[in-house]
Amino acid sequence: MAAAESPSAALRRRDLCSRGIRLAGKMRADVVDLLDAYVERQGLDASASVAAVEGVPPAAVERWDEQTGTQRLLENLAAYRAFRALLAQMLEEQREQLGEADTGLGRALAAVLLQVSAFAYHLEELLRLESRGIPGEEGDGPPPPPRLSLFEQKLRGLGVLRELAQWAVRSARDLRQLAKPSLATDAATSLAESP
Amino acid sequence: MFSRWNWVACGFYLMLNICSSDASGGLVQSCGYIIPESPVLALGSNFTALCILNESCLDFGNIYANQIIWKIKNRLVPKEQYREINRTVSSVTFNDTSSLATPLTCNILADGQIEQNIYGITVTVGLAPEKPKNLSCIVHQMSKLTYVMTCTWNPGRHTFLDTQFRLRYSWPQEVFPDCIPKDVNNSCTITDIQFFVNTEIWVEAANALGKAESDPLVLDPVDIVKPLSPQNVLVSSGILPTVLKLSWENWVSDALMRLKFNIRYRIVGDTNWMEVPSEDTASPRTSFSVQGLRPCTEYVFSIRCMKEDGVGYWSDWSEEKTGITTEDKPSKGPSIWRIIDASRSPAFWTVHLMWKALKPFEANGVVLQYEVTVRDKSSLSSPLKKYNVTSTNHTLQLPNGTYEVTVIARNSVGASPPSVLLIPASNSKAPVKNLRTLPKHDKLWVGWTAPNSYVLKYVIEWCLVSSSSDCIIEWKIAQGDVQGIDLKGIKPFKCYLITVYPLYADGQGSGQSVMAYLKQDRPSKGPTVQTKKVGKAEAVLTWNHLTVDEQNGFIRNYTILYKTIDGNETAVTVDPSKTEYTLSSLTSDTLYTVRMMASTDNGSRSGPDFTFTTQKFGKGEIEAIVVPVCLAFLLIVLLGVLFCFNKRDLIKKHIWPIVPDPSKSNIAQWSPQVPAKHNFNSKDQMYPEGSFTDVSVVEIEADDKKSFSEQDLKPFDLLKKEKSTSEGHSSGIGGSSCMSSPRQSVSDSDEGETTQNTSSTVQYSTVVLNGYRDQTPVQVFSRSESTQPLLDSEERSEDHAGGADSTAQRQQYFRQNGGQDETNTDRPCFERIKQNACADEGDLVGFVQLQISGQSSQPLGLGMEKNTQEAALSNVFQTCTEGQTVRPQAVEENPLSVDEMPKSYLPQTVRQGGYMPQ
Repeated sequence: MAAAESPSAALRRRDLCSRGIRLAGKMRADVVDLLDAYVERQGLDASASVAAVEGVPPAAVERWDEQTGTQRLLENLAAYRAFRALLAQMLEEQREQLGEADTGLGRALAAVLLQVSAFAYHLEELLRLESRGIPGEEGDGPPPPPRLSLFEQKLRGLGVLRELAQWAVRSARDLRQLAKPSLATDAATSLAESP
Repeated sequence: MFSRWNWVACGFYLMLNICSSDASGGLVQSCGYIIPESPVLALGSNFTALCILNESCLDFGNIYANQIIWKIKNRLVPKEQYREINRTVSSVTFNDTSSLATPLTCNILADGQIEQNIYGITVTVGLAPEKPKNLSCIVHQMSKLTYVMTCTWNPGRHTFLDTQFRLRYSWPQEVFPDCIPKDVNNSCTITDIQFFVNTEIWVEAANALGKAESDPLVLDPVDIVKPLSPQNVLVSSGILPTVLKLSWENWVSDALMRLKFNIRYRIVGDTNWMEVPSEDTASPRTSFSVQGLRPCTEYVFSIRCMKEDGVGYWSDWSEEKTGITTEDKPSKGPSIWRIIDASRSPAFWTVHLMWKALKPFEANGVVLQYEVTVRDKSSLSSPLKKYNVTSTNHTLQLPNGTYEVTVIARNSVGASPPSVLLIPASNSKAPVKNLRTLPKHDKLWVGWTAPNSYVLKYVIEWCLVSSSSDCIIEWKIAQGDVQGIDLKGIKPFKCYLITVYPLYADGQGSGQSVMAYLKQDRPSKGPTVQTKKVGKAEAVLTWNHLTVDEQNGFIRNYTILYKTIDGNETAVTVDPSKTEYTLSSLTSDTLYTVRMMASTDNGSRSGPDFTFTTQKFGKGEIEAIVVPVCLAFLLIVLLGVLFCFNKRDLIKKHIWPIVPDPSKSNIAQWSPQVPAKHNFNSKDQMYPEGSFTDVSVVEIEADDKKSFSEQDLKPFDLLKKEKSTSEGHSSGIGGSSCMSSPRQSVSDSDEGETTQNTSSTVQYSTVVLNGYRDQTPVQVFSRSESTQPLLDSEERSEDHAGGADSTAQRQQYFRQNGGQDETNTDRPCFERIKQNACADEGDLVGFVQLQISGQSSQPLGLGMEKNTQEAALSNVFQTCTEGQTVRPQAVEENPLSVDEMPKSYLPQTVRQGGYMPQ
């Protein structure tokens, strides 16, 4: 498969990986900054423990290095689609809570949301290059979360941002793996063998 | 009549309809309308409008489509463009909308005369938007986290319409809000941009006539970032004197993009920047140590950055920061040279040591002092002499010898390597050869051929040669392996004396000099030429050399240009070393104009004109003429003198006639009896009353000599002898008489005559002194030889001693009367007399008148007398008596009667019919 990959496709793939890595890095940096602002703005304790966010695959996995490229792409795509929905919800809640008074936090959330969307687009493009169909989003995404209290919303937002920060790190590592030619071949092979 | 009222009613109805609004809300309904309503038309297209009349107007006002006229802004549209579609619709067509204007109105002519407006529309003509071109975008970093993207494009031609431009961008799965430019139509700034995603950007232009989109630009905004320049740049000195450390802060996070940098630096005061090699700063960093700097030098630094991969834009240069490197010991010793002044004594030198101050990059700090060491190489035992000098020169008094001079520059860190100069007792080594110069732009290249021996260094001395100032020596040292250097700071048009000395390890070569100009010009003035000597056909010209300040270049030659007033100019080229030239083959007695031109390689200039005239005669010509003339004159004079000497008696007789000495006169001779014996008794008879008792007339004719026979002349010769013998009796007064006046001369002649005429004649010697020039003459009778009784008694006694000899003498004198004219051959004397007579014309007027009355109307003169010469000679006495011609001489000497003669010694003048005292 790798041999069959055209030079332009390989170039495109390398470019997408490169951009994705840098986008992941930028996203992580922005999310870290956003976390600080969010904690401060929401009056939360930065050390507060937050339960895992529902609907988001955990960033930490066992045998990460044994994953194929496609698996990595699919897991990333699922996660970022979930983040996109969660961040959009957070942005809505943010607007409801603070109105237009805190535009800075809202802009930062919107910027991170755009980056998440952009990263999801990268992943979809990479999957297209792998000649794999892009899995459709399940309905309108994850099921709407139950109505939460304001504090719970804040905590959940904190959890989303923390998880996003972890995913940003993992995504960068995943894309670096994908950028390696051998792994790319493996990913293509595994994708071809997968049902 | 009915018809008129009918049309008035129609017009009124139309006005009501036009002014009304719709039935629902207005007052009056319009009679028609135009389709299309206020269209926007493309410029240059064709256009057709329809005016549709309401049916109600047709019925009441008898208005039909054929009565419709179209107007554009009150200008009637030609009816050829109308078309009546039916009884209620009229159309108008424009082939080119550029001829349209607003408003376009539909009007009707009621009753064929009254024009009423039915409807009007606004026509807008414009162009569809062009496709925007040259879309480009750049992302500016505004702060650490804020980036904006500004896109610009070419909006295309002016559309004359309100055209909207929109900058649109999108991701494949997401479309962002459009960016609508404000106040401009060619740029827009997007504030919400996301990196690392390819974004499609395009421009959309739209107006009433259409819409156009630019070609899309697909890019990742991170690739067009122009980041902010590094901030808070600090420069700190390193441990080494050649290193400065820079540190700064980056505004761009590493997560967004990695940066590379450019570092540039320059020495303060220098305009040229140097850059740190880009590969040294091609990775993200916040500090850098710049090496290879000069010690103790202030540097200016500036930094910029861009994305590491080089995609995007460089930031602006950061603000400049300065830093100074630390000092280091001087890197080299100063260049040293000397000027030896041996003018006071050849055995004792005044050595002026001089050295160049180290350049900053050589001094590596502030030079605190120079240490000068002088070692006498001719005597090993002599101690070293050390001097600490803060200036760059030092003067030593040294005996003639060989010395080694060492100079060390010292700063706060340490000392420089020593500079050594060997001063030999004599410059006996080989000099450089083939010394030459060549101007190169603003520098003067000096080249030479090296001597055969190995040369350590060359010293090049040069100085500006000027007549107004001393030659101030500048110098420079060149290494021994070069054979030419450029001299800077050389002024054009100035003469420089350049000397090159080779320095050997064991001595010094003699200097070779050359004079040179960086640039030559024509002389600032020309030579002033003048003549040293002018001859008939040649002239020696001289001039002074131009001063070196006036030359402006090497004088290649002088050109002498000379010409006559109307002649062609002749040019002669003269060697510039000369100051004199002889022009030859000139025309004599001719005015020449000469000027002199001095020429350099770059032109000439003439001096002032000088004129001279060649001489008429050549050298020796005048002498050749004058000397013979003088000799001839001398010869003539000599001959004249000899002649006069030979004829001195004759001359003496006429010039200094013998004046009878009254003291020797004898009273008996002029006793009354004596005249009775005389031939002139008849006179007395004729004038018994004694008015003219005795008048003797002597006419002196220059040419009378001819008429006298030799026989007549003989007695005259005797008379002359008599006179000469009686010279001792003549008084000095008589001598002066000939010289003084003609009257005297005549008188003198007459004197002899009268003494000859009669023994009774009163002999006078009348001295008449003419006034000198205009002065009133004083007439003095000084002497008389008269024997007349007027004399005083004492004179009589003297006269008495004259004896009877006088009678015979008087007889001879009378005979001599004719010979008197012969004496006229002594022309100079007589001519002179005549001239004086003319000069004393005033005195002689009376005589002239008297003569004219008697004989002739000719003026008084010898010529007149010449006419009557023969008569005068033959009838001397008659002439004197019968003709009653009174000659002045005769008048003067006319003896008065005893009674009437005043007893005076004053001269007396007798006129006709009496005598008058003068």
